[in-house]
Parts: sequence; C-alpha cells; structure tokens
Amino acid sequence: MAAEAKLSHTAAMILQAVNAGWVYGFSIMEMTGLPSGTVYPAMRRLERDELIRSQWEQQSIADAEQRPPRKYYKLTRAGKLTLESSRRRYPLLAKLIPSQEEERV
Amino acid sequence: MRPRLALACHLFCLGSIRCVSLLVPGYQREEWWREWRSELWHVRQACAPERGISWAAEHEVARFCLGAFQDALCLRRHAAPRRIPHATTMGSAMQCILLLAGLAAISYGIALLLPGVSAILHSPHYRDAQNLMLIRDAKYSGDSIPTISTEQYQLWNLRRQEIFDGFSYYRVAFESVLNAKNVKAERRIAVASPNLFALLGLPIRFASGEAQGEMPQLILSNEMWKNEFGGDPHISGRLVRVGQRDAIVGGVAPAESWRLPGKVDAWLLEPDAAGIADGMGFVVAHLKASPLHAQWGRSWHMSAPKPDGSLDDFFCVSLTERTRGCGDVFLFAVLLACLALPATTSLPLGEYRLSSRKLSWPKRLRRWCFLGSKIALLLPIVYFVSLDLAHLRATLDPISSEYIQLVSSFSICLFGLRWALRDQRQRCPVCLGKLTHPARVGQPSRTFLAWNGTELICVSGHGLLHVPEMPTSWFSTQRWLYLDSSWEVLFAEPSLASASYF
Repeated sequence: MAAEAKLSHTAAMILQAVNAGWVYGFSIMEMTGLPSGTVYPAMRRLERDELIRSQWEQQSIADAEQRPPRKYYKLTRAGKLTLESSRRRYPLLAKLIPSQEEERV
Repeated sequence: MRPRLALACHLFCLGSIRCVSLLVPGYQREEWWREWRSELWHVRQACAPERGISWAAEHEVARFCLGAFQDALCLRRHAAPRRIPHATTMGSAMQCILLLAGLAAISYGIALLLPGVSAILHSPHYRDAQNLMLIRDAKYSGDSIPTISTEQYQLWNLRRQEIFDGFSYYRVAFESVLNAKNVKAERRIAVASPNLFALLGLPIRFASGEAQGEMPQLILSNEMWKNEFGGDPHISGRLVRVGQRDAIVGGVAPAESWRLPGKVDAWLLEPDAAGIADGMGFVVAHLKASPLHAQWGRSWHMSAPKPDGSLDDFFCVSLTERTRGCGDVFLFAVLLACLALPATTSLPLGEYRLSSRKLSWPKRLRRWCFLGSKIALLLPIVYFVSLDLAHLRATLDPISSEYIQLVSSFSICLFGLRWALRDQRQRCPVCLGKLTHPARVGQPSRTFLAWNGTELICVSGHGLLHVPEMPTSWFSTQRWLYLDSSWEVLFAEPSLASASYF
C-alpha cells in the first residue's frame, strides 16, 4: 500500500480517532459523530489498505467484565505516515479529535 | 429485568443484522457477525435505559443497525471479482474477430438459402474458357443473333483445321416437349452437336454414362428438370417426346451454367451433326494451344471459306467475358474500393515508437496479424453480402444483378476497409484493446504554439493516443505515447485512482 495515499477528510478523521485512542467502532462513531454506515465501511477500507489493523480482545477480559469481546483497531506504520500527511493537509484534525490523554488534561 | 418489548427490539435488531450478514462473503461472515453483535450490545448498553424502554434509544439503535447493511454491501463489493474494464471485453481483438467471423458465417448461410446465389456458388467453370471462341459472321455486330448456317458448321467440321481443334454447333428453336404429366408444352430447345458439353467442359448431373445409340440425347436445364419433371433424380434414361421424335434424357445441366447466347430450356444432342436441320445457329470452337494464338487476344477476325467456295469474314470472340463469374466483379469492386480508400481516410496507422520496451516483436506481429485477419474476414463478408443483395429477387435479369453486385461490393468493401483502418488506429498497440475516455486537449487558437486534439487512453495503462484535430507539418498523424512503469500504480488499484475514499 502506498503510504502517500491521499485520504478524504472523513477517512483522516477516523484515522485520527483511532490514533487518539478511540479504538473500536462505536467509540469512533461517538467521537467523530459519523454514522455507523460511514465508519465501519471506512474502517474496512483502511484495514484493507493496511493503514490500520484489527485485533479481538481477549475473551477472559470480556468475561470478567460480563460483556462480549470487542474488536480493537490500531494504526500501522503506514497509517501513521498517512496520518502525518493528512494532518498537514487538514491542520484542524488534531484539534477536532484530541488524544484521550489530552482530553483528560 | 428488561421488559419484553425491549427484548423483542433487541432480538429484532440481532435478527436483522444476521440476515444482513448473508450479504457478506462467506469467509468474512462469522467475524463480521461477531463484531456487529458485540457492537450492538455496547450500543444498546450506552443508549438504552437500565429499566423500561426508550423509543429515542431504540431509534438510535435502529440507526446503528442500518449501518450494518452499508457495511455488508461494502464488503460484498470489494470481494466481488473485479469487473474487467470495458475496453478489454467489448473492444477486445478476439471479440472483434469473432464478430466478423459470425457475420461471414451468416452472410454465407443466407447465400446458401437463396437459390440464385447457391447456384452461382456451385456453378461449374468452363474448361479453358479463354481458348473457347464464339464465331459469328463479321457482318453482324452482336453475338446474340445466330449467324452461322448448319452447312457452314459442317464444312468447318469436316475440314482439316489449322487454328481450331474442335467445333460445336447449336441452334435454338421452339419445340414441343411432353413433360412428366404428359402435357405438351413449347420449350426453347437447343439442337446441338453431340460434343457441345464436352467441348465446353460442363458436367452433366445424373448422367448414366452409357452410350445411347442413334437416339438423340436430351439434356434438361435445372429449371425445366424441376418444373416439368418434379426434380426426379432418376430422370436419366427416360424417353421424352421432343417435337416429332423421341429423345432419351441424358442428364441435367447444372443451374446457372449456360452462358452462351440464347436462352435454353433443354439441349437436344444429335448423335450425328449431320442430323441437325438447316438453319442459323451458333458455333463454338476450341483454339489450338499455341503461343501465336495467345498473342491474338480475346477477339479477332478471320477469313474462312463458305460452302459456295468464296471467302467470308468471321469474327471470333473468346468466351472469357461470357463465362466470367461473380468473383471477377467482386475483385474489380475490391480494386476500386482500394483505390478510393485514401480519399475517405488516411492510410497510416499512426506513429509508434519502435524502441519501446513494451512493444516486443511478437506484439507488433500480433497487431499486424489482427489487421490482416480483419481484412481477410471482411472480404468474404463483402462477397457474400453483395451476392445476397444482387440475387435477392429471382426476377432480376443478370445484367441488373451484376450492377447491384458491383455497387454493393464497392460500397461495403470501401466502408469495411475504412472501418478496419480506423478501428486499428483506435486500439492499443500492446493489448489491442479499444482505447477509451476521449478527452479534448488544447485549444484550436493555439494550434501553432501547441497541439490540440483528442487524447485517448488504454484502460490497461499501456499508453495514451494523441490524435491531432488539425494535421500540421509537425503533428500530421496520431501519436502513441507509451506510459512507463511509474504509471502502473494508477491502473493496478482502481479504487485508489478515485479522488477519495467516499
């Protein structure tokens, strides 16, 4: 996958949200305000283009919290590079979706 | 405890997502279902109240579930085999060749169905037609009038000949013939010398091959055989009353085979040439093979003795013109079309850099083979379609049919050759796919500063074709621009070629 791929603003928002620590679909929806019909297909494409990768939560953790396990998403190296270029293209991206640590501060 | 209504809503949402999961490709379905089930649980936890039911929350959950449908469709779209671009299917070289082959087969099939065309296709050739001479009295201008007397023919036939090695004579007269139903009808009968068909080299269908003795032999025309004798294949050997005498049917002449003067329904071959009644008829003679005779050409005059001992002038004309088949008309039309072609389109196929690494020798050869195949398939299409048009109506006379064939052959051939060249120019020299996405480039007002015209692209990414709007001394013909490997990324991932993800 070419790291220089130009993302749309929506895709960049989702990538920024994943990078900011919103690592599962519903949380990304909540953070970005995008509908599920936009977020999930976008994440499929980002994963197909190897900008993000997914991983299932361990069953034991989910059992301990009495809920079904979640599928978490994480940025790849190519995803980070693409996000960097997207931030230059969309300078307000980081302000729109700050990282969870920044939010706590 | 959650009320039953809330539980029903939850089950309905789960059921809907499960149904939607059927849209997801099989190998992704279970994981997709697992993720959406988990997400739905979390959405419900976040939106729905602890107790009771909130319609606003259910509305939110339902909206979330609707997204599953779009997600499933997206996965399905990506998993589907990539559609082959239009240029490599509809415009592929193989499809073009198959289409032309199909057209050739259809036109040939129609030709076989039309009786007139079928007869022409299967009509026999005259043996050594260029040395077969039709002799007439030089006092007459046309050769459709009988000008040679029976006496004259017998004189020539008996004399030792220096120029000819065989004579045949026939005289057309109306005679009554008893047909299969014993009905007497007046028919045009050519009373001829016994060697007429042998001299012309025409085969006789259903001939028994047995000697018929002293009885004259009746050779039926194909039309008479069908109309009067019901197309009986066992007609040979039957006794038929012709005029005042009996004749034995010797066979049937092939359809459309008679090209000599006089319309004839049957030929009565007298066993002895002396038996032919006096009158005026036609003489066909076979020229001896000699280099000197070959120099005389297709028509010439000769002086020959008459029965009274005086010399008379006779005109000999070769049967080449008369026995000319439809193929000659077709070849003439093709020649005319080839001459007219440069007036309708430019002949060069454009400029192609020969040093390109992409255009190997076999690919270049394949390109020329493709053009050759198109033209090779085009010619039978032109031939059969023109024959079909010329003989569509059985009532048309041969001259009209010949004109129709000439005009239609010329028109179709010219159009076809023009199409073959234009089609070749609009194809990628590498994959032979049809070029697409024409784009206007430049401005006519800037012709002298830069080129303006149309740019076409090969969807497989092999290159661009630049066609000038106005040919100039520096850009006279279309140019092909090969794209190097740096462009391949555009064509390898069609989805990335689009501006964005959404």
